[in-house]
Amino acid sequence: MSEPAASSSPPARAGGESGTPSVVARAAGGFALRDLFRLRAPLPRSVSAALAVGASVLVLAVWEGVARLGLTSPLFFPAPSAILAAMGRMFADQHLAWNAWVSILRVWSAFLLAAVMAIPIGIMMSAYRAIGAALEPIIDFIRYLPVPALVPLSIIWFGVGEETKIFLLWLGTFFQLVLLVSDDMRRVPQEYIEIAYTVGAKPGQVLKDVAFRAMLPGLVDNLRITLGWCWTYLIIAEIVAADSGLGFVIWAARRYMKTPEVMAGVFLIGIIGLLTDQLLRAVHRRAFRYL
Amino acid sequence: MTAHLTFTNVTKRFGAVEVVATPFNLAIARNEFVVFLGPSGCGKTTLMRMIGGLDTPSTGDIRLDGAPVGGPDWRRGMVFQSYSSFPWLTVAENVAFGMRYRTDLSEEEKLGRRDHYLDLVGLYEFSDTYPNRVSGGMRQRIAIARTLAAGSDVLLMDEPFGALDAQRREQLQGELRRIQRRDAKTVVFVTHDVEEAAFLADRVIVFSKRPARIMAEIDVRARLGEDRTLEMRDGADFFALRNEMLRLVRASAGEEP
Repeated sequence: MSEPAASSSPPARAGGESGTPSVVARAAGGFALRDLFRLRAPLPRSVSAALAVGASVLVLAVWEGVARLGLTSPLFFPAPSAILAAMGRMFADQHLAWNAWVSILRVWSAFLLAAVMAIPIGIMMSAYRAIGAALEPIIDFIRYLPVPALVPLSIIWFGVGEETKIFLLWLGTFFQLVLLVSDDMRRVPQEYIEIAYTVGAKPGQVLKDVAFRAMLPGLVDNLRITLGWCWTYLIIAEIVAADSGLGFVIWAARRYMKTPEVMAGVFLIGIIGLLTDQLLRAVHRRAFRYL
Repeated sequence: MTAHLTFTNVTKRFGAVEVVATPFNLAIARNEFVVFLGPSGCGKTTLMRMIGGLDTPSTGDIRLDGAPVGGPDWRRGMVFQSYSSFPWLTVAENVAFGMRYRTDLSEEEKLGRRDHYLDLVGLYEFSDTYPNRVSGGMRQRIAIARTLAAGSDVLLMDEPFGALDAQRREQLQGELRRIQRRDAKTVVFVTHDVEEAAFLADRVIVFSKRPARIMAEIDVRARLGEDRTLEMRDGADFFALRNEMLRLVRASAGEEP
């Protein structure tokens, strides 16, 4: 009844060709430089982190150097140090943190609203073909409407308050997300559904205990990606009609040609995005250890 | 010998595709191990799925203990070739999933059965492991244990060992046959592997190309007896039976519908 013990160990995920010189070298604790250029070769965590930080630092250093040497005009292309200094000033006396917080709240409230609506609708579209057949053309149509083109309409409907911003962000994400969720659901292997049925699950239980559980990793990934899009639409909304938020900060700085401030605002969005993304990736890794 | 499962004049079409055109009739006895053998896409899987309630006959009926089969339930368990266990559940949780919707068992009974079947298929020590950490053969055993734990007395198996290497397949075939004798299960097993059919079956039904119809029925029990061993696979009787079935399969695959 027992298979050879070796078979119980998980199959080697990567670098399976044991015995090749590079594997031997790594086993001895070394990491050969040529490993970096072997097709799809595994990369140790430490090397990966070093490369990630190193590349960013290198880009910033080159940029800084170019600016310091006077090769670019500070008015158009300020050095990273100048941007950092501007960011410091803005945090200190221009309420940058508060404006960032306002933007984050807008992004998350619109995103959560879109998700709460898109997840059940998307699931239903794949669970019941009739719902999918009815909704898909409508959603596809709206999905292709450019959000900026709907700004005037949004202002007519909702004025220039918070509702307009939330509406525009929701518009940009909900319709995309519905289709992504629907796809996640459609990709759940039919076998899983049928296993559940043959142990006596009711349709509702099949959806909740099996189909939803099976699609969850894909769903979380799609939510993470969609959250990124929210920031794009946020800036559009805040540039058009706002007196707060990072989009407003950027736009206001532009009026006085304060390029370092403009770039500081843009940078901050990038940093917030990067941190959020890393956070959600960590959650994904933790929640779906079985993958 | 009482019929456990009967097909009476069953036909099946999916839209314009006739899967089973000639009315299909078959009686399967309780505790009988029946193998559906035939070329890929011939309709044998559809016939098996209809027993499970996953497809319904276009005409005719299928009865289990004399009563028409309705939708799927735990009395007829299914083991698929791939995606046969849930990756988000541990090995033990996968086995317990077979009883998840049974209200007639207490929690202690469920735990007891879970551990019993984990042990039976040799996976007890892997209880808390996730399926992606065990071999393909073990994953198929998870599915078999889940189906047994569910209490199914009919096991429907759709090429469950198709993706395994030859050694592991032989080994699992031996285990399956032993469990089937011991626990007295009725098994309908779909395969296109002639040796697998000869080794496992009490009776082999050889199918034509689609639309499926019975080309031949082979009473393996009369030829090889009830107990199957690995040594037997090297014997002359097994070899002769295998060759005979191989010729039948070749003939059915080559025959124009």
